[in-house]
Order: sequence, then C-alpha cells, then structure tokens
Amino acid sequence: MIFRFWYFIRETFVSLWRNLSLTLAAILTVAISLALVGSSLLIREGADQATAQFQEGVEFIVFMNADALENQNEAIRKVLDTSPAIKEYVYVDKFAAYEEFRELFVDKPELVESVTPEIMPPSYRIVPSDPDADNVTELARQFSEQPGVKEVATATEAIRQIEDFSTRVSQALLLAAIVLVAVSAVLILNTVFTAISARKTEIEVMKLVGATNWFIRIPFMLEGTIHGLMGAGLAVPALFVVDSKVLAYFQESEAVPLFRGFAVPDGFVWNTSIWILVIGAAIGMIGSAFAVTRYLDV
Amino acid sequence: MIRFETVTKTYKGEVVALREASAEIQRGEFVFLVGPSGSGKSTFIRLINREEVPDAGKILVAGKDVSSLSSWKVPYLRRNIGYVFQDYKLLPKKTVTENVAFALEVIGRPRPIIKRQVPAILELVGLSRKADRLPEELSGGEQQRISIARAFVNRPLILLADEPTGNLDPATSVGIMRLLDRINRSGTTVVMATHDRGIVDTMRRRVIELDRGMLVRDESRGVYE
Repeated sequence: MIFRFWYFIRETFVSLWRNLSLTLAAILTVAISLALVGSSLLIREGADQATAQFQEGVEFIVFMNADALENQNEAIRKVLDTSPAIKEYVYVDKFAAYEEFRELFVDKPELVESVTPEIMPPSYRIVPSDPDADNVTELARQFSEQPGVKEVATATEAIRQIEDFSTRVSQALLLAAIVLVAVSAVLILNTVFTAISARKTEIEVMKLVGATNWFIRIPFMLEGTIHGLMGAGLAVPALFVVDSKVLAYFQESEAVPLFRGFAVPDGFVWNTSIWILVIGAAIGMIGSAFAVTRYLDV
Repeated sequence: MIRFETVTKTYKGEVVALREASAEIQRGEFVFLVGPSGSGKSTFIRLINREEVPDAGKILVAGKDVSSLSSWKVPYLRRNIGYVFQDYKLLPKKTVTENVAFALEVIGRPRPIIKRQVPAILELVGLSRKADRLPEELSGGEQQRISIARAFVNRPLILLADEPTGNLDPATSVGIMRLLDRINRSGTTVVMATHDRGIVDTMRRRVIELDRGMLVRDESRGVYE
C-alpha cells in the first residue's frame, strides 16, 4: 500500500511536470476564478455588515442616551405607535446592542472589553411608511429634537449607494467567476486529456498486463485535483489582500459615516478560504473525472 | 486452457471478423494462427484476453467464461495472459529493467519480488548486460526480447503474440522463435498469429488457419499451407 502511494505521487508529479505550460495555465485560471468567487463573497459580507442596521426597510435609527429616563422613552414610543408616518419599528435595548457589538468585533477583544452594556445606547430601528429621502430627513430631524435622544442616524443616500454598488460589484464578480470556473474545469479536462494522450502506450501496456482501472485512473485524477488545489492555494492569499486592502479602503471611506464599517470578521475570511480550497479540489476532480471517463476507456 | 465454442464476432454489425469458430487449445500447447490479413487472427487473439467481446458463442479461458466476465475482473484475467506486440510497445524513456519492472509495478507487486524477478527474466531472454540501456539503443530483435520478457515476467499461463516477428529479419526471427519455444517448454501455452511461412514450416506445431473469419484448417503438426 505504501509502495502504491509513492507510485501514484511519482506518476502524478512526473505528469504535471511534463505538461508544465498547460498545468500552469490551468492552475492560474483556477486561481483567478476562485479569487473572484472569494472576493464576491467578501464584498457581499462586508456590505451586509456595513448596512446590517439598515436592513428590512429600516430607514433611520433613533439612538437614545444610555442614561435616558423611562418617561423619555415612553414619549418616543408613543409617537412611534401613533404616528401614521411610522410603519413599524424595533426596539434594541442596551443588552442587545452590546451583543451585536460583541459579535461584530469578536476579533478585537480589547475593543469589546472597553465597553459594557451600561454604556451602550438603546435604539429604535424605524421603518417609515414613506421611505422618500426628504420625508426620512424630516422625521429624523423631529426625533432628534426629542428629549433623551442622543442622535438619529439615517440610511443616507451614500449608504444606499454603497449597498447598490457592492451588490452590483459582487454580482458581476460572481458571474465572471462562474464563467471562469467553467473555463477552468474545461482547461483541467484538456490538460488531463493531454496527459492521457502523452501516455497512450503506457496506458495500453498497463491495461494488457492487468493493471486495474483505478490504478490507471488515479494518477490522472490526482493530477486534476492538484491543479484545482494549487489554484485555490493561490487564491487564498488573494482573499487576504482583498480583505486588508479593498475592504479597508471602504472602511476608511468618508462616505460611510456610521459606527459600523465595511468589514468582515477574520473568521469569515478563513471560512471562505476553506470553501475556496474545497471548490478548487472539486473543480479539479470533476474536470479530471470527466477526462478520465471520456478518454480512458478502461 | 482456451476453448472457443461457435464464436462469432462482427465489427459495427457488418464486417465479420470471426464466424462460428470453435477450437480447443490444451495447456502447454504451441499454436500458430495463420491466414491472410483481415482473416480474423488478431480478433481471435483479442477475444482471448477480453480486448473484444464476442457477439455470439462462448470463450473459456482457464475454465472461466471470459465473454461474460464482469469488467472489473478483466485485469485479473489479464494477469494470467502475457501479450507480445508486433511493434514491441516499449516505453522509450524507461530502461530495459524499468520496462520489464513496469509490468509488475502496475499490478502492485512488492518491490523485493520485482527486484528478484526482473534480473532473472532478463537472464532468460539474454539481455542481462543491456539492463540499463534505453530501448532506442537496442536492435529490433533485442527490443522484441524485452517485450517478451515483460509479457513473461509475471509467469502467465498463456502467452499471446500478434506477429512478433513481423518487423524482424529472418535470422533475428529464429532467435525470437527459440525464445518462445523455450517459454512454451516451461509449460506456458503460446498462441501466435503469424504471416511467416518459414517459421511455421520449420517449427511444425499446431496450425489453425482462418480465412475471412472462418476456421478452415486445424492441424496438429501443420505447415503454413
């Protein structure tokens, strides 16, 4: 068994080396397509995080002072419950706000330690009946004048633009990525096909001396899988670059004046990386399995 | 060892390669398959090691019906059957030793056994001193000896040879036939398709003649015609 293992490894790498130019082309295509898949996922997650408070129609948020009095809260609630301009709202108390804060900054424990639920401002996330920008601005102004209100954050035009932009960018990237993933699978198929053609005599001899089908197939399938994995391996560092440069650019952008930034937790980048590796291996396996069943009539 | 029972094989439903052929070959026999090109000699050989499947009839090899053998068992059948090609089919980048060892490696034989069997078989075919050469450095006759060594290194019950002397001059062919004869005398059944009248007439072994897919002659100590 150990002997066979080394046989497969040797045969696979000999073949990879023989086909070097095609191998590199296949690996690079996989790398580019998976880097796009990953970037698309990162940007989508970043946008979700950045605009998390403004989902499901929430157009503005009234933040109360952490030490707001109960009657101040009641006054706000009364307006919210009775005003025809308000469709619905959600109250986020200081403990829920603290939980959200902790989740968002799970990678930055020193930041989490610096706050307590006591200092978190409770807030009302408000869905207005009419989401028109002028109407929202007017409502926000009215609420900001109420006693006990710390500030009112609106889903400004800039945020909506960021949202639209990130959705469009991530969709375009995903579309390009899907096309490229298909291209890489075909390229791997072709590379493996070339490897099979280059070893026609060898395969013929193997069949006639009684090598089993899997014994003949495995090195070729390993070859395709390695193409996919190596491509994915190159895509992973690219994801970290996208995270540290591109997303950081959004975070520092003046266009996002909100407390929460355009960031993804580190854990998300790692998770995405694992998925990228799995997808890479799968592309390689599928491409080479297709080549093997199609061109290796054992 | 090999039994054909009214075997018919056609290609693409039209070209009849073999028509209701029946023959029985005993263990240890040496059989020449003769006949013009396209008479069905190659098909006869390819049916024995299940490179082809018959349309009708039954083929028994070492007691097993190979026509109904499930495909995953085919490799194990072939481990009992050596195969010698007209054009040798040696791997050009491997040395003589590596070419022969290859046949054992790919069926998962342990390395110590390979290390023992390969030099022994090279000794048998008389190529010990050229063990580290590449095929292109050797003559046609020597290359065919490697091919035979590769086919025989696993000590198969049957050795199939499709025109093994087809690319060789008469003097070299004699050497190859001596080698095949020696392998046959060790108990291996040999089935050889050939056009070489001189060889058949000299050896005086069993001759099966095919003509347009029909088995037209089967003589125990036959000549070419």
